[in-house]
Amino acid sequence: MSPFQILVVTLSGCLFTGSLIAFAKGWASRRECLVWATIWLTAGIFVMWPELTTVIAKRFGIQRGADLILYCAVITMPIGFLMIYARLRALRRELTVLVRRLAIADATGPGASPLATPSEDNSAHGTE
Amino acid sequence: MSDNPSQLASPLPDEVRAAVFVVIPAYNEGPCLASVVEHVRAQYPNVVVVDDGSSDDTLAVAKRSATYALGHIINRGQGAALQTGIEFAVRQGARYIVTFDADGQHRVEDIGVIVDPIRRGACDITLGSRFLDPSGECANMPAVRRFTLRLGVLFTRLVSRVKLTDAHNGLRGFSRAAAEKIDISLDRMAHASELIDFVRHSGLPYREVPVQVRYTDYSLAKGQSSRNALRIVLHYLVGRVMP
Repeated sequence: MSPFQILVVTLSGCLFTGSLIAFAKGWASRRECLVWATIWLTAGIFVMWPELTTVIAKRFGIQRGADLILYCAVITMPIGFLMIYARLRALRRELTVLVRRLAIADATGPGASPLATPSEDNSAHGTE
Repeated sequence: MSDNPSQLASPLPDEVRAAVFVVIPAYNEGPCLASVVEHVRAQYPNVVVVDDGSSDDTLAVAKRSATYALGHIINRGQGAALQTGIEFAVRQGARYIVTFDADGQHRVEDIGVIVDPIRRGACDITLGSRFLDPSGECANMPAVRRFTLRLGVLFTRLVSRVKLTDAHNGLRGFSRAAAEKIDISLDRMAHASELIDFVRHSGLPYREVPVQVRYTDYSLAKGQSSRNALRIVLHYLVGRVMP
């Protein structure tokens, strides 16, 4: 094994173990842990035995394993960015709801004590 | 704001004016806000100023001059400030809610024009239009601004499929029933287009009414640049596909 392979396989192994520990301890959702564990395991296997990627690539009619990985990255990375962006937008909305609540709670003026009103409800804002 | 507040006439009866809540979102409007609020309060007793995390003394001015002062602890954008003000006004028992810009570009007389069709039951939403103004032209409107606003109207017709003459006027009116349904999710300037979508999807009757917009050096400096319009369009389109 080359030094690069040793480094990446060790790193993948650590992350794979970390995912399993997170799964066992309940630090993250079950699905999330399994997805990450699968990613790190697959990465470790492909770096250790790179020729495996070529075998799989040829099944899909692609000549080289490196090309298969490139194509997969081209598809999955934008999806990943989109998911992160969607999450960021959701967090921004939640932040706005929080800021709004504080503003209404601290409002000044005659009879401005809306926190006591029964219409307090944030369900319309899509909070989790 | 050179007019004397006491000389401004309102066509609305006192009991209607008492039920109107004028919501003014403000961001770094310290130099102009007190004058705007003073003029509005001379006619309408319920003025809600929402300071959107300004770095100047806007919140302090709002607390001194407005009936109700609310402050976002951090800047969230004009759309967010409007939603805060509208929610607050509904909770305070408002029957009519008017949104009004803080930079002095709107006339207090036009609030009556905005509210009148709603109180007569002709519609639930009124949208001010500077292009319906009988005098024909908006004084001092720069050509670039006029062109950008026309593009905005065209964009609204194509995307929101609502025929308006002025799609981005900050002077709007809502009945209580309409205001209770509003949920602005686009925090920043794209909320104007989102509100047009709300008008269409709510199915509530609406109408455009002629209002005047004053273009002063201050309001032009505070207004959105034409270049920023592209960013607003992008925010709006992303917001449509990714709520």
